Amino acid sequence: MTPAGSIATTAKRHNPPVVARWARGALAIAVKDLRSELRSKDTINASLSFALVILLLFSFAFDPGVDTVREISGGLLWLVFAFAGALVLNRSYSRELPNDCLDALLSSPISGAQLFIGKCVANWVLLLVIEIVCIPVFGVFYNVRWTSHLGQLALVFMLGTWALTVIGTMFSAMTVNLRLREIMLPILVYPMMIPALMGAIRLTTLLMAGTEISGDDLIWFRLLIGFNIIFTILGVAFVEIVLIG
Amino acid sequence: MVEARNLMYMFYGFLAAWLIVIFYVVMIAMREKRLHDELDRVRRMVEEREKR
Amino acid sequence: MRLKVIYALSLIASVLLAFNLYKVFMVLPDEVNQGAIYRIIYIHVPSAITCFTCFFTAMVSSALYLIRKDMRFDAVAAASSEVGLVFATVVLVTGSIWARIIWGIWWTWDPRLTSMFVCWLLYAGYLMLRRAIDEPGQRARLAAVLSIFAFTDVIIVWKSIEWWRTEHPGPVLSIRNGGGMSPGMEAPIWWNYLALVMIATVLIMVRMRQEDLRREIDSLRRWAHAL
Repeated sequence: MTPAGSIATTAKRHNPPVVARWARGALAIAVKDLRSELRSKDTINASLSFALVILLLFSFAFDPGVDTVREISGGLLWLVFAFAGALVLNRSYSRELPNDCLDALLSSPISGAQLFIGKCVANWVLLLVIEIVCIPVFGVFYNVRWTSHLGQLALVFMLGTWALTVIGTMFSAMTVNLRLREIMLPILVYPMMIPALMGAIRLTTLLMAGTEISGDDLIWFRLLIGFNIIFTILGVAFVEIVLIG
Repeated sequence: MVEARNLMYMFYGFLAAWLIVIFYVVMIAMREKRLHDELDRVRRMVEEREKR
Repeated sequence: MRLKVIYALSLIASVLLAFNLYKVFMVLPDEVNQGAIYRIIYIHVPSAITCFTCFFTAMVSSALYLIRKDMRFDAVAAASSEVGLVFATVVLVTGSIWARIIWGIWWTWDPRLTSMFVCWLLYAGYLMLRRAIDEPGQRARLAAVLSIFAFTDVIIVWKSIEWWRTEHPGPVLSIRNGGGMSPGMEAPIWWNYLALVMIATVLIMVRMRQEDLRREIDSLRRWAHAL
């Protein structure tokens, strides 16, 4: 290797490109949140228990027949995840309030956008874990086969969960310093979520009933993807204004 | 028969629209009165404190 | 000066509305399929467009506030959102009354109605958020961001009848290349829109005066406590 070559590679190692640095920062936040959550496990336990209890209650309350279950499967699942998710999302920024951790984070070299994306990724992972546990439980209690079209189902859940996460994390940042935080968050998040929720519910119901997504229903896919892109961009753009001013 | 019902609902529609706007105007008027009362009260409070 | 503008606009709006009311009830014939009930369109559609105009004004004001940090923009945003919400209520109520006759049901969850209802909820949430924050700077900032987010739904409402097959009628206005209405029947919609926008402007101006009053009260109170 020529000296020039080795200098170039050394330079690259010590000065990674901007995108990689940015991603590493965001990832650091995500890993921090996940690690702290995995150590205490209180939010994920609360959220998971809540989700399972709702699933159980619905099955007692309605005792649905096979056809009804297939029609409501999407709605039921996504409602459960939206409610359980609210618990996770509420904690997202409020966990940084004690000991002025939020101020410390905001004054660190991490930009607001990195903080936002990092927290989104962490919340997304947590919510996906809850979903991965709940779906088989749902399959068992309601007698639904959900394994056909597994790939498309996984995609729908990942996209829908990201939509929920990005909106929830954004509004969690917005409401973190309010005294009515716990009630303002659901009031703001749920209406905002409805377009994505409708899409996710529609697609999930179709997939659970065994039909593939095609033709007319592709618009719901496009809606989900568009929604995710637009609100991720909006979130990244405005989070610093919301947190700092 | 259907005609009459049709006409009736149309009037309900217009009525509802006007009622909503009028209700809002009344709310604004009430708020205005409340604000003026509060302004007078605070002005009096300032005068009192200035006199002291 | 402002008071004169308010009175002038109210007068013009009243005249316009009266003229339109006459036209709508006396001059225009019944629509072929729907009978008399279709005349609700002359309140329903102009209210909807007025409502969106108000929310658009709120969004632009909010963006301007975030750029310039001038509290007057915040006042405009708050006032327009409130007035917009009133017109949104009119849209939903007149729409349901119309639906009861035409479809036989008061409500259905098709994309347009759902997104319009969501719009209503979002701006009601906006007003609640403003109520929940006491500090004016923080209130203006957070409300401004929420206003920009909420406007995305207005876009969804507007485009919903193009993107999905809805129970709500498809595009008919000439600006949307619908070509569904003859020009004679469409004109009153736009005249009514003009009248309603004037009314909305009057309401917004009155509301903004109230915001100024409130600011004056707050500052006087602070002075009183300082004395």
